[in-house]
Amino acid sequence: MKNRLKVLRAERDWSQQDLADKLDVSRQTINAIETEKYDPSLPLAMKMGRLFDLRVETIFSLDDVQATESRRRGAQ
Amino acid sequence: MLIPILHRQRKAAQAAAQAIKEAGGTIEQTRRVYGTRLLIRGLLWASVYLLSRGLLELTIPSAAARVAIALLPTPFFVYYLWTWMKGVSEMDELERRIELEALGFAFPAAIVFLMTIGLLDLAITLNPDDWSLHHVWLMLPLFYYAGLWRAKKRYQ
Repeated sequence: MKNRLKVLRAERDWSQQDLADKLDVSRQTINAIETEKYDPSLPLAMKMGRLFDLRVETIFSLDDVQATESRRRGAQ
Repeated sequence: MLIPILHRQRKAAQAAAQAIKEAGGTIEQTRRVYGTRLLIRGLLWASVYLLSRGLLELTIPSAAARVAIALLPTPFFVYYLWTWMKGVSEMDELERRIELEALGFAFPAAIVFLMTIGLLDLAITLNPDDWSLHHVWLMLPLFYYAGLWRAKKRYQ
């Protein structure tokens, strides 16, 4: 899953640690999400949405393969 | 019976983490406190285990005394395990996933290892000085740490 976390964080001039503290998670978790190695749980994604005052789907989106697969399943 | 105890532990851990946060601390500080506690209690358990092993090498005629010595490290290990469980309940979601993946690797690895040792013992009778239970159990934590290393590397 793709995300805009790094961009949103940079816009606010926050470090990974700043964001981790605001979300009550470790810096490693923020790093893993930013590098797309880990997809956060729905509660954490919603906390991010609330923090950035954005909808969750504005921050996170399916990558091309996942989106194609999702569309294909929806069409069936 | 275990579930209410774990639930209480989880609540207590969350309250402790909240207290640290309210005192101006961060999740990183909680980790450091947990790491230090785990290390100290782990060393305490290891020391008592080595003491117990040492005492059992001596000629103690009383079977009751030998059993008591053999059981001596158990409460220390339970205390260490309790610290670990409390630490897991304070972890964030990624750290919990890493722990789960580590155990998900360690458990099947332990089964395969013990099954293989058991079958080999039937086949060729392994030397008990190398392959008895008090040697083999040491391999099991190694599987956990191998799993932990693998899972941490995956999310780095």
